[in-house]
Amino acid sequence: MKKILALFILTLSIPSLAFALTADEIVERSNRAYYYAGDDGTANLKMTITDSRSRVRLREMTLLRKDIEEGGRQKFYVYFKEPSDVRRMVFMVWKQAEGDDDRWLYLPAIDLVKRIASSDKRSSFAGGVFTYEDVSGRRTTDDTHELIGEEELKGRPVYVIKNTPKDAGQVEFAHYIARIDKENYLPLKGEYYNNSGKLYRTIEVLETAVVDGFPTPVKAHAEDLEKGLTTTVEFSGVRYNIGLGESIFMERYLRKPPKEVKE
Amino acid sequence: MEGTALKKALLFVLPAFLISFWPADARALTLNYFAEGAAGLRTNDDTTRKDGYNLLEGRVQVKGSHSPEALEEWSAEVTGKAELLADGYDESLRFILREGALSFTPVDAVDIKAGRQVLTWGTGDYLFINDLFPKDYISFFTGRDDEYLKVPSDALRVSVFAPAASLDIAIMPVMEPNRSVTGTRLSFYDGTRGEITGDEANRDFEKPAETIENIELAMRAYRTFGSFEGALYYFRGFYNEPRGITDAAAERFFYPRLSAYGLSLRGPVLGGIGNFEAGWYDSEQDRSGRDALVENSSIKYLAGYSRDLGGDLTIGGQYLVEQMLNYDSYTASLGAGEPARDELRHLVTLRVMKLMKAQTVEAVFFAFFSPSDRDAYLRPSVGYKITDNLKATVGANIFIGTEAHTEFGQFERNDNVYARLRYSF
Repeated sequence: MKKILALFILTLSIPSLAFALTADEIVERSNRAYYYAGDDGTANLKMTITDSRSRVRLREMTLLRKDIEEGGRQKFYVYFKEPSDVRRMVFMVWKQAEGDDDRWLYLPAIDLVKRIASSDKRSSFAGGVFTYEDVSGRRTTDDTHELIGEEELKGRPVYVIKNTPKDAGQVEFAHYIARIDKENYLPLKGEYYNNSGKLYRTIEVLETAVVDGFPTPVKAHAEDLEKGLTTTVEFSGVRYNIGLGESIFMERYLRKPPKEVKE
Repeated sequence: MEGTALKKALLFVLPAFLISFWPADARALTLNYFAEGAAGLRTNDDTTRKDGYNLLEGRVQVKGSHSPEALEEWSAEVTGKAELLADGYDESLRFILREGALSFTPVDAVDIKAGRQVLTWGTGDYLFINDLFPKDYISFFTGRDDEYLKVPSDALRVSVFAPAASLDIAIMPVMEPNRSVTGTRLSFYDGTRGEITGDEANRDFEKPAETIENIELAMRAYRTFGSFEGALYYFRGFYNEPRGITDAAAERFFYPRLSAYGLSLRGPVLGGIGNFEAGWYDSEQDRSGRDALVENSSIKYLAGYSRDLGGDLTIGGQYLVEQMLNYDSYTASLGAGEPARDELRHLVTLRVMKLMKAQTVEAVFFAFFSPSDRDAYLRPSVGYKITDNLKATVGANIFIGTEAHTEFGQFERNDNVYARLRYSF
């Protein structure tokens, strides 16, 4: 079923066949292209965080993802490799279609499976500019979407979408502008504006590749203009549809990492 | 003692050690290290061995893991963690093996981990009801890293996974007690002397004999119900504090037999995480409660809640009630003038945690407060990751009490401020 759906989306994404899409449809397709490629996937992630005083911090982790429902519930497993003091630490998320996600943190030094409160999805992931929501995806229904233009970005035709949160109290931005590739629907750039209309945060995809038939961002850069913090993420070893079982996203594999994350 | 250590080594450590050197690709072995210096200054004079400080040490740790090719079909892994501790307080140099274990999956639904390992379960935050694995409160109270609150166990852990529920069975052939306060590093209320006592205490703790009957067993059955996690617990072994008196005059104590039965539930509540845990401690050697020399049975209840307030600020609170069973028998068995514990001990904890500077600074305020004992224990700390490799931590341990014999009040003279610097690579 999912394969048929993927094929269907792929067909629709051929430009000559594309009809005029609404902003909601574009955002939904973008969400699926970026966060739901394949039924599951794995990648190694290298994150470089640089602060305003040019101090650099590195994080390396392996990500596993499984879609439970296309466009809806997902499970994530993040295994930390670097820095050495967090080696073997595991962060696990059950992303829910509604309400708060479920998050766990496994601390190997004390064999502790900790449940962590997750009401704030806008907090930083691993100390960088990317937020938890950037990593696991923001619900498309949390914003209203408006197609405000079509243009070219680095030679790619893009839709320009303005996203305004329905509940402004839940987020730190007043709105954000997303530039979405018209052909493969990958979000290529995000610009976040605060209440005084000032741009304070940007995310940009620097490199994409087609992996197992899925357009995939392999390098992205985010900048917090207020704090002077930048974060670059590079993905390697990306694979899709590797047949991850749902059982991997259980307490068992926090203690004993699955073979998929072994170096 | 020497015999015990040797026996343990032969039972567990040696096989793991040998397998780890199975001919294999050296790249499959990953090692990480840290070196740490720590100092904790006392803010009060006391009668402990050293007066000015209760923490002064340098430590080197190496940890590693290796997946032996010969056992690949069992997805086996050898994990190890060893330390060299130069302890300025004890004036000793010690080798400490914190982990030396072999994990493997003999059949799909079973994981086995055999050897020295840290074991943890339960839902409390620094409070333990059904986690009856050994603790080191001396480390906890003097400002060592949280890691050292847990004492490793020499255990065989068998985990069975099934859709209906999963089961953990931990078998500890030799009982490993808590690192109990003895007056050397921390002064405490010595019930046999009826006063706060330091280094002059000369306590002798008798461990259970290493026999088949004394093998400890801990079990947990658990599963999820949607976003909720439920667990049932069973323990058969010994109190891990010496709660029995063999000979008060000679200051000889023993670890009474304990069976414990418990349950816990944890899940999302009101935008945060709520947890509930309870346990019944059956003190088998004093079921009637009439024996003044052995701890009474008790029931413990814990409810907790934590919430993320945004901006990397998290708060959490817990309420623990410990109910002593057969309280009337206990009071009747007390000697004249002996201070009585309350039937119900209430304990409240508060955690406030804030991350700053791109999560490189972690400020934590943790407080224990008992309205029934009228005592408290405060643990403020700030950790700063100067670089990915270098972390500095400063903090304090502050004990407040109104009576000398209560849980935290007895440690009133052990307040300290500490600093640690750790380089990891």
